Amino acid sequence: MTRSSSPIRLVVLALVVALCAAACGGGGETPEPLDGVAADIYGGECVGLEGDPVTIYSGRSENLMDPVLSAFECETGTEVAVRYESATNLALTLAEEGDRTDADVFLSNSPGPIGFLDQRNLLGEIDEDVLSLVDQQYRSDDDLWVGFSGRKRVAVYNIDSVDVDELPDSVFELTAPEWQDRVAIPGTNGSFQDWFTVFRQQEGDDVATKWLNDMVANGAKYYANNRSIVDAVGRGEIDLGLVNHYYNYQEAAAIGEDHRALNHDLAGDDIGSLLIITAATVIEGTSNVEGANELIGYLLSEPVQRYYTEETFEYPLAAGVQPAAILPALNASGTGTIDFDALGGGLEASLDIIEASGIANQ
Amino acid sequence: MSAALAPSISTPRRVRPPWALRGVGVVLAVAFAFPGLYVIWRNISTDADPIGLLGSSRTLDPLGRSLQLAVLVSVASAAIGTSLAWLTTRTDVPLRRLWRTILPLPLVFPTFIGAAAFIRTLNPGGLANDVLNGVGIDRTFELRGLFGAWLVLTLFTYPYVYLPVAARLQRLAGSLEESARVLGDTAGQTFRRVVLPQITSAVLAGTLLVFLYTISDFGAVQLMRYDTLTRAINTNYIVRPPVAFALSLLLLLVAVIVVVGERSVTRKMASSGSPRATRVVQYRLEAWRWPSLALVVVVALLAVGAPMVAMLDWASDGLLRATRNGRPLTIDADKVVEASWHTFESSVLAALVTVAAVLPIALLVGRYRSRAGSFSHAIVIGSFALPGILIALSLRFWALRSGFVGELFAGSKALLIFAYMVRFGSLAMGITLVAVQSVPDRFHDVGATLGASRLRRFATIDLPLMAPGLLAAVGLVLLSTMKELPISLLISPIGYQTLTTRIFNSFEESFVAEAGIMAVVLVVMSGVLSWFLILRRAEHR
Repeated sequence: MTRSSSPIRLVVLALVVALCAAACGGGGETPEPLDGVAADIYGGECVGLEGDPVTIYSGRSENLMDPVLSAFECETGTEVAVRYESATNLALTLAEEGDRTDADVFLSNSPGPIGFLDQRNLLGEIDEDVLSLVDQQYRSDDDLWVGFSGRKRVAVYNIDSVDVDELPDSVFELTAPEWQDRVAIPGTNGSFQDWFTVFRQQEGDDVATKWLNDMVANGAKYYANNRSIVDAVGRGEIDLGLVNHYYNYQEAAAIGEDHRALNHDLAGDDIGSLLIITAATVIEGTSNVEGANELIGYLLSEPVQRYYTEETFEYPLAAGVQPAAILPALNASGTGTIDFDALGGGLEASLDIIEASGIANQ
Repeated sequence: MSAALAPSISTPRRVRPPWALRGVGVVLAVAFAFPGLYVIWRNISTDADPIGLLGSSRTLDPLGRSLQLAVLVSVASAAIGTSLAWLTTRTDVPLRRLWRTILPLPLVFPTFIGAAAFIRTLNPGGLANDVLNGVGIDRTFELRGLFGAWLVLTLFTYPYVYLPVAARLQRLAGSLEESARVLGDTAGQTFRRVVLPQITSAVLAGTLLVFLYTISDFGAVQLMRYDTLTRAINTNYIVRPPVAFALSLLLLLVAVIVVVGERSVTRKMASSGSPRATRVVQYRLEAWRWPSLALVVVVALLAVGAPMVAMLDWASDGLLRATRNGRPLTIDADKVVEASWHTFESSVLAALVTVAAVLPIALLVGRYRSRAGSFSHAIVIGSFALPGILIALSLRFWALRSGFVGELFAGSKALLIFAYMVRFGSLAMGITLVAVQSVPDRFHDVGATLGASRLRRFATIDLPLMAPGLLAAVGLVLLSTMKELPISLLISPIGYQTLTTRIFNSFEESFVAEAGIMAVVLVVMSGVLSWFLILRRAEHR
């Protein structure tokens, strides 16, 4: 044991290294020329950075946002600082921070967190010329949020265990005996709660509640979220699942032919083919209103909308961009959208019904 | 009290601790109490009704499932962690040093991707399926529900027991064991009669962490589709905040009850006064050598191998696809290097700061049996049962409301390290306490008689003797920080991405290739650090 002091020396050494690194790390940033996907969005010369940076709380992941934000910085010279987290946790943080938050913009990939912030009066008004870039149905009546991409509810199915002929047109068919024990539902997941809330608004509480209870009685299986359902369907663990269309394209792009699942589009007027919007908001009381609006306007520009549909398989909402050919067409009669404004208070009743159905324990 | 004048060897002395130590202990206790106070405050400010919720089966059923799961995982982790620790430190099981590097690694898997990787490997249609079909076995089992959650959480949490017990075993004097063997005890009898009583406090400390971790876990139970209290808390955050806060308070109460219970059991146990092994007894397993190896291999394969198979599969699929004409990856080498560096930097700092912070409390409890110390101890450990998001939110809350101090630290790395410290102090506490108690009072008395000052005695007597325990504590906090999610996402300086935050961001939006690549980097990095901390130390053997 002559070297009994060595662990302590080791610790001191590590401490010195880490402290030095913490102190010496970092440095100024210069706009680098764009490459890769970002260069497809903006191919020109970069402008030098100036003005106040825009601080974004993003519930959409870095993988989806980074090319867009790099292009924005390069093209406009407005710097961005981003905190990425789930939209729910960011909304909770914003509520905790109140008027002391650094955030100027909040991006959500589902409506629930926006309703939560709206109820607490934490959302500011978006400029009229930004709002008018999208259709009336994809923006707030009170100018508090604007949609910038859409994700459609679909039925994802395993191509080996489900015959194309037996695919349903409506979610109501899934309570029939032939679907017993074969369907996955993301029970208490945020996007399912949002969808179920609209279901209640459109079809009435009785119909919606009965459907969910029937699904539970028919052996519908509970899964944590959209991604885990798409994964399970792709492996053949379960035959069919009610999810957002988006995830299957991503899994297929990453895993390839081993992923044995396809999206099935329910009938256009069925509640099961709802378009759910990802939305941008300005934070009430932000010191950088101009930058915030500039950024949201950029999300609605033609190259960005094209990127969202061609690279990330979402539905574009502005600038006349058409959905990528790979995506099922949106129904001409107008796909239903979620009325975020009515959603806030509605979620509580939805959660009551969902919990009472016992789906979480399936 | 004459006890102060006639020091005993085994129990803490009833002397008043130095005032400076007490002061430091109280200040630290306040810091560690932030999350708990926040939850209590939010219960008051939102008019939450935790008592009323207790009457509802919607609360009691998930709570019951949480407790059931936690007990089952605790028992299994205690058994596995203790046997693996004994096998790899005290026997001639083959490839001991390799196992000692690998066995702590499950700590580093973030549960959301670790559990998903298990499912990807072992469930129907998964990677193991092809192998089984290849050898003609048609049935695959499905990991889910109580069994799935139990298996995954046991495999992820046994290191909480393994690390402290291994550290303790390396310091047990061989004399008692040798006497037992000479007097005719078999290896098994020696273990039961001599070794087990001496390591019980370490086993219990680790098992307590397993229990608390299990009731706070959300990622694994959610993916295993087992409906526990954390699921209820999570779905209520934005829909019915008062319910989420009330349920969190119940979780906290369970934690406090369990912590106080554990404390009252361990306090009655005499800590051993045999700190320094002149020679550690090594057992020859003889006929048991290969079955023992099989146990170690099975645990390593399941706990580290199975998730790694899926992660490597995701990573290689994505890399292959990107090099052929497929979709390009959304990360590049620069981003991975930057995130790796942030992970390394923040986890090393957090581990050192955390162990330094719990040491004063451990001294108060272990050496002086001070009431303030016991109180601080319970606070530090109990907060481990709170979901990480609440700890992150509580620190946001306090940082915004503590005037210039908050201003100073808001958005800085210091606040991030502080948050990790509050989150993981509990991990360091148990082992540090065992380490403190392993220093016999008589050594101090000798030091004092020879005229050494208190600080000098601490540096020359205590620290060297506590070193293995403290290093194990550093290891535990280090690996846990590397995978921590909510704090890393919400408290870090804006734009400060670690491997885990990038893995989370990628995985949740189904960029599984990117997530897989960075998860492999995370595991390799933690393996190197684990080797550095745990194995290199043992080389002088």
